[in-house]
Order: sequence, then C-alpha cells, then structure tokens
Amino acid sequence: MRDTTFRPRRALVLGVAASDAHAVANRLIHLMLTEQGFRVRNLGVCTPLAEFADAAAELDAAAVIIGSVNGHAVNDLADLPGLRAMGRLACPVVFGGRPSIEVGGAATGRARLRELGVDHVLDRAEQLPALLDSILAPVLTHAG
Amino acid sequence: MLGEDVIELDRERRQRLPSWSEIVDGLRSATSDTSDTAVEVLKRAKGRPVLQPRCGVGGHAEMLDLLRALESAGAPDLLSVTIDSHTRLRHFATADRVRRENPAQLNGYPLVAHGWERGRELVAAVGVPLQVRHGSPDGRDLFAVSLAAGITSFEGGGIGYNIPYAKDVPLADSLRAWQQVDAVTAELARSGVVLERELFGSLTAVLVPPSLSLAMTLLEAVLAAEQGVRCVSISYPQSGEVHQDVAALRAIRAVAAEYLPADMTVFTVLHEFMGVFPAGRDWAEALVHYGGLVGRLGGADKVITKTHQEALGIPTAAANAHGLRLARAACSPLLDFVRLDEGRVAEEQHWIEREVAELVTPVLERPRLATAVEAGFAAGTLDIPFSASVHARADVVPLRDPTGAIRYHAAGALPLSGDVLRRQHRLLSHRTAALTDEILADINYFADRPPWTAEKGQVPA
Repeated sequence: MRDTTFRPRRALVLGVAASDAHAVANRLIHLMLTEQGFRVRNLGVCTPLAEFADAAAELDAAAVIIGSVNGHAVNDLADLPGLRAMGRLACPVVFGGRPSIEVGGAATGRARLRELGVDHVLDRAEQLPALLDSILAPVLTHAG
Repeated sequence: MLGEDVIELDRERRQRLPSWSEIVDGLRSATSDTSDTAVEVLKRAKGRPVLQPRCGVGGHAEMLDLLRALESAGAPDLLSVTIDSHTRLRHFATADRVRRENPAQLNGYPLVAHGWERGRELVAAVGVPLQVRHGSPDGRDLFAVSLAAGITSFEGGGIGYNIPYAKDVPLADSLRAWQQVDAVTAELARSGVVLERELFGSLTAVLVPPSLSLAMTLLEAVLAAEQGVRCVSISYPQSGEVHQDVAALRAIRAVAAEYLPADMTVFTVLHEFMGVFPAGRDWAEALVHYGGLVGRLGGADKVITKTHQEALGIPTAAANAHGLRLARAACSPLLDFVRLDEGRVAEEQHWIEREVAELVTPVLERPRLATAVEAGFAAGTLDIPFSASVHARADVVPLRDPTGAIRYHAAGALPLSGDVLRRQHRLLSHRTAALTDEILADINYFADRPPWTAEKGQVPA
C-alpha cells in the first residue's frame, strides 16, 4: 500500500459536471483517491456547480474536483465566475476529462475553462494525486 | 386500457392519442402478409439469432433515410428507433425545441416530440418491425406514443433503465412506472397483440458480472409476470470470454424455467460487446464478428450488433450495415464446425445459476417484490458496479480472470456464499497491482490488446 498516514485529513469534493451522466471514471477516481488515503466526498454524476459550492462550504474542502467527458464542460461551469463573485467556491477548482469533444478542440476548451477561473485542468486521472498533494501541503504545514 | 387507472400519462398527450381500439387495430395490422410483429420475427430464430442494429437520429426525414438505408444495405430482421437523451429524461419540450432548431444535435429520435403519426411513417417505411430503445426511468408517455405509432417492441425495466442511467430517481418511482407499462402490455396480449418487452441486462455495460445481469433482469421479469406479462426478452452483455458468455445465455433459460411462470415465453438476446472498442478497424471487425458467433453458440434468439466505428463515435449507416453483415456471416452455417469445451461451459453455467439463486432468493422470499427490490438496493444486497444512481451503493468491483472472464473482486454486501466468493477470489489471485490500474486495464481489455502484439493475460499497464 502507499503512504496513507501522512495525508492531511482535509476533505476534497469530487463529482461530475451537471450535464454528464458518465459514472465509470468518477467511481474509479473516487476509488483511487480513497485507496491513496485522501478524504473524498463524492457527489456523483450530473452535479450542478452550486452543489459543489455547498459541499465545499459544508466540509471546508481543500479543493473541488470536477470531471466531464461529454464536451459540455464550458457550459456546465459557466456560473463559476458568478459564484466566486459571491464569495463561494473560493478553494481551488480542478477540472479533469475532455474539455471538448471536437477533434483538436482540447486546447481551446482548456483556455476557456481557465478563463472561467478553473485553477487546474488535467486530462489524466493519474495526475491528480501529485496535484492534490501540492494543494494540501501548505495546509499540512499550517496545521503542524 | 390507456385509462388513468392503469397508466398515468401526461394529460394533454393522452388527449392527442388515438382511442385504445384504434391503437390495438394499428398494432394488429402489423400482423399482415407484408409485415410481422417483433415477437413473430423472434419466433423464427430457431438456433440462428435474428439481427438488429441500434439506430436513431433527430430529424424525421433523416430517420426515414437511415432506416431505409440499413434495411437495404444490412438486411436486418428488426430495426431500432433509439431515442435521444432529452426524451429519455422526459424533457419533451427541450427535445421538441432542439428537433425544430437543430435536429442533428440530438443523439437519437425524439419520438414523443415528433408524435405518433410520424412514428407510423417510420413503421410503414420498412418491411421489418421496429423496437424503441431508450433508457428512461419513466418511459410511460414514450410507451403510449410507441403503441399509437404501431411499434410492437419496447425495451426497458424499472431497475436496468434507472440505476445505470439516472442520478436520483427513487426505485419506487421507476418500478411503479414500469409496472404500469407491463400492465398495459398484458392487456394488449389479451387483445391478441403480444409485444416484445426486452429487459436491459447490459446495465452500465462495463465489466458486468453475468450473474448480476441475470439477477436484475430476472427480478424485472418476475415483476412483469406479476402484472400479467407472459412474454419477455432477456438481454445479456457479451463479456468477451466465450465459455462464460455461452454459459450465461444458456443460464437465462434455466433460471427462467425455475423462477418464472410455466406459460411465460422467454427470448434470449445477446448485446454484442458494449465496452471500450479498439480504434483499429480490423480488430474492431473481429470483435463484431466474434459477437455474432457467441450469440449463435449460446443459442440467442436475437443479437444486437455493433460496428467497426464504435471507438470513433456514432457510426455511419454504412458502418452499421456492415456490422449487420459481419454478424450474419458469423451466424451462418459456415462456422457450424466450431465447438466449445462443453465441460468448461457447464461448470460456468453451474456457478452462474448458483450465484443468481443466492442473489434473488432473499428478494423473492419477501412479500412485496417491488418493495423488496428497493430495500435490497438500499442495503447493498442488490448492487451494480459503477452505478450512476445514488440509490445503488456501487460497492461491487469486478475484474477479469486470466482467461478474460468477469469475476467479483469485491462483492460489497451481495449475499453470495463463502463457496462462491472463495472461487471468485481464487480466480483473481493474480491481480495484485493497484486496483484502479487493474480495473482500467480490464475496461480497455479489447482496446489495448491488438491480437498480434500481446498474449492473453499480458495486458499493457
């Protein structure tokens, strides 16, 4: 097993964007993060952005991880600037999956997600643990 | 018999439907010299599966063209009307708006928005029966429009069209909706029109253990029988290991004989591999061909075909017709020399039947079946892997054994016996890498393993 002992206990919120019902990757990522000692609240498929914000506030989450593979991510995350303007979803927002289903549209999709305020755009689930460790690390230091 | 006491429909839609006697007459006229009902086609299978592709596009003219193109180029025995996702979720107004503004954006045919009159044009356009395939937790309005259109086959059930497809529809609601569909189906049979009612055993279509697929469709079939239905099709998704798949198809008949009324007709259906397809055309074609052969070896009455373009997106009509022809060749007498190790098939079938018994017996012993199904999912004694629904625990984790057969790595709270679980764990004892890596490798089992680069069991990481 990997080191689970030293991972901070701060919660992460995981889910799939509002218009996407693809459950398999979401279930796998939940399993992977749990196996590696992260504390994850999984909101599952078809989750509106406001529900991510509610869960993040309730748990004082360190990050919110939003997956999408159906190509509608930019549309589904369009409310992010509005929520942030209201002081909600202040924690880092991580996007993983396919930002666009158009052939060659990934770069444009990534840029548009960054414009909306998404802090990290990943295309492979394997990139998540290292990123999450880097997000959690300052919290760990602070918590002593 | 489409009365509110039998099936609850949208009020305005009910008023636009023809009368019950007109609907029955319309469905009866499907039984004529020039056309058949879906069930009559299935009865002709007799050891060689009848073949059906999936197909559905948003525009009406385009759908007519697609059905005609497939009929002439692929010679199917049945054709599908695959329904768009807005209609599946009862977002009829959205489906109607999109089909007017930009029908190409829809991922299927919005039958409710187009209306039953146009549905009749689809039926009249081709010489083979149509089946409505969808994925609606509540398909009642779609069902009524399908009947008014003269369509004699309707897929779905209260478990298989809810848990894999919807995030938060209570099982009580979906089971009740499908009990009403089944009550109308039973009444139609009494009027002389026997519908094909196919139950969707493919579930999430990813690494579904055979006994879990069979348990879910069996429970749906018992629920249908309670409403008076005496004819169902039970579908099963090809796992990719031939002995397991043939055993599962045979086990459908065995468990049906054990748990369903003696006067119930059961047709078996193989869904050609539903998981991640190889991108390369030749290996994809081999998989489509293999699916047809497995259906024939397993004695399936029907095979739902796939195409060499699965990895690329929605297939063209030409690719879809080509998939039908590949499956037809695989089911032909040319390959009748193929024999399996019958001892191995019998061993698999024995264990599948035992697992199904362990899964369904506690549910069937309860006094009210629909309530027992709901309670089972809540407790995790009924469960499916990778579910989209919050009403299933998804604690079941499947993996492939060294032959490629699908086994239970973790069974969650399923009431499987020690004997069953010990065998499953023994068959998976080689799977020692990180679990998510193992699952990913199995999901990509065919996509990652071109036959000329890797031996079985050497799955690239």
